[in-house]
Amino acid sequence: MTALDTNLDTNLDTIREKLGTAEPWVESRGTYWLDPGTARPRDAAWAMNAAGARFITITAYELPGDAGFRLEYHWDLEGRLLGIPFQIAGKTTESIVDIIEAADWIEREVYEGFAIVFTGRVFEPLMLREGDKPGVNLRVAPVQDEPASGLPGQKEVVQ
Amino acid sequence: MSYKIPMGPYHPGLEEPYKLDMICEGETVKDAELNIGFNFRGIEHLAETRNYVQVIALMERVCGICSFIHTLTLCQAMEKLAGVEAPPRALYIRVVMAELERLHSHVLWAGIAAKLMGFKTMFMTCFELREKVMDALQAISGNRVNYSMNHVGGVNRDIEDPIALVPMIDELEREMMRTVIPIFTTSSTARSRCAGIGVLTHEKAVSCAVVGPTARASGIPQDLRRDAPYAAYAEMKFEVPVEQAGDVRARLFVRALEIIESCNIIRQALALMAPGEISSAPEKLIFATGTATSRVEAPRGEVMYSVSWKENSRNPARVHVRTPTYANMPAVRWMVRGARLADTPLIQASIDPCYSCTDR
Repeated sequence: MTALDTNLDTNLDTIREKLGTAEPWVESRGTYWLDPGTARPRDAAWAMNAAGARFITITAYELPGDAGFRLEYHWDLEGRLLGIPFQIAGKTTESIVDIIEAADWIEREVYEGFAIVFTGRVFEPLMLREGDKPGVNLRVAPVQDEPASGLPGQKEVVQ
Repeated sequence: MSYKIPMGPYHPGLEEPYKLDMICEGETVKDAELNIGFNFRGIEHLAETRNYVQVIALMERVCGICSFIHTLTLCQAMEKLAGVEAPPRALYIRVVMAELERLHSHVLWAGIAAKLMGFKTMFMTCFELREKVMDALQAISGNRVNYSMNHVGGVNRDIEDPIALVPMIDELEREMMRTVIPIFTTSSTARSRCAGIGVLTHEKAVSCAVVGPTARASGIPQDLRRDAPYAAYAEMKFEVPVEQAGDVRARLFVRALEIIESCNIIRQALALMAPGEISSAPEKLIFATGTATSRVEAPRGEVMYSVSWKENSRNPARVHVRTPTYANMPAVRWMVRGARLADTPLIQASIDPCYSCTDR
């Protein structure tokens, strides 16, 4: 193990301790995942900033039925790709923009694609589809209270 | 008195459709608002409706300049889900193609930057060189833009005579060293239009999490080819150019030096390429349920794909693409603050923006 690896592992342990989770980092298909336990995305954002990790993106997944969404937050720490998944039951979660400036556009994009509202921030007009409704592009079914307009709500499948 | 000057979405000073609303006092830009989405195609949604062969052709269309990089990143993620590894020769071919694409992108950018500087002769010189890079890409793939080179588990075409490509690369490098790089780095025209213009400080670059040459020109020494090697990059010896000034000139320097490094990498890959198979794809691919991510250092910076698959499905359940311009573009707001209005086309061009990628 090199000095760089030791330093990196120490940083990863520090992040884990700050999030108060007993679960270890688990490597899967090249990404290091951490189960955040009861920690919130904002806790992760603070911990990653303290470790000097670079924010990359948030990937949103719609879960089956009424299970809500899974948001995977990704950072780079010294070349290692880190992922922390958060499950949200409803359609709101806390914004991390005040902690990580770089999360601004990706939060806006997730809002547009999935109609997930990030609380604690101001939403400007839609970025990619100005004048359209949020949640009509990437949701399996159109958002009921905000009907789709102009884009397919049902996903056709090419066999 | 402040006033707002809209630039775009279609404007001679912008090469692609987006809108920059600049709040000016006199000739000085005080602030700017960025508006994107004029090229939105819903590609992430479309990806969910395509099978594992079709989705590669689709994602090649995310970007015209770095079409190879997008399929490479996608295929690397899909290879993780399918449990397939590309054979060594395919990995070297991927390196050669990725670096040729970087040359293509950087030379194209240099031409556009020259045009925005009012340096039309250099624009023509760069585009002539770009043709030579495209000739090399065509010689390998048969195509000049969308190369159709990648599939899950390897590449579609072999480089039958790697050594024959070396003179082409040598000539390209000679031309770069003889004309483009010296003129860009020493001419008073380039210096007066680029030095001290559009500065992105190191602190702001870190805060905005910018990537690629934009980050490296602000003193951030990150490059996935070195920090998280993929394909055959672990076996390549190369330098990662880093500048500290954070201005347009620094971004120009970084790309100029990267052109030389790319030529070095291509020569190494061609020399190290051992005979062998170019694909290890089985007859039928079976994808594991779950998510896989992949990152690649594109000419403009880090591209990341997250690909999710459900059991027994031929289609991905989700494909999320984070492109480099999407990460770099918000920083333009900070670059143009305090700049002269006349410099803003060059400043926005200095991040080498791609709206095809950004809007998807």
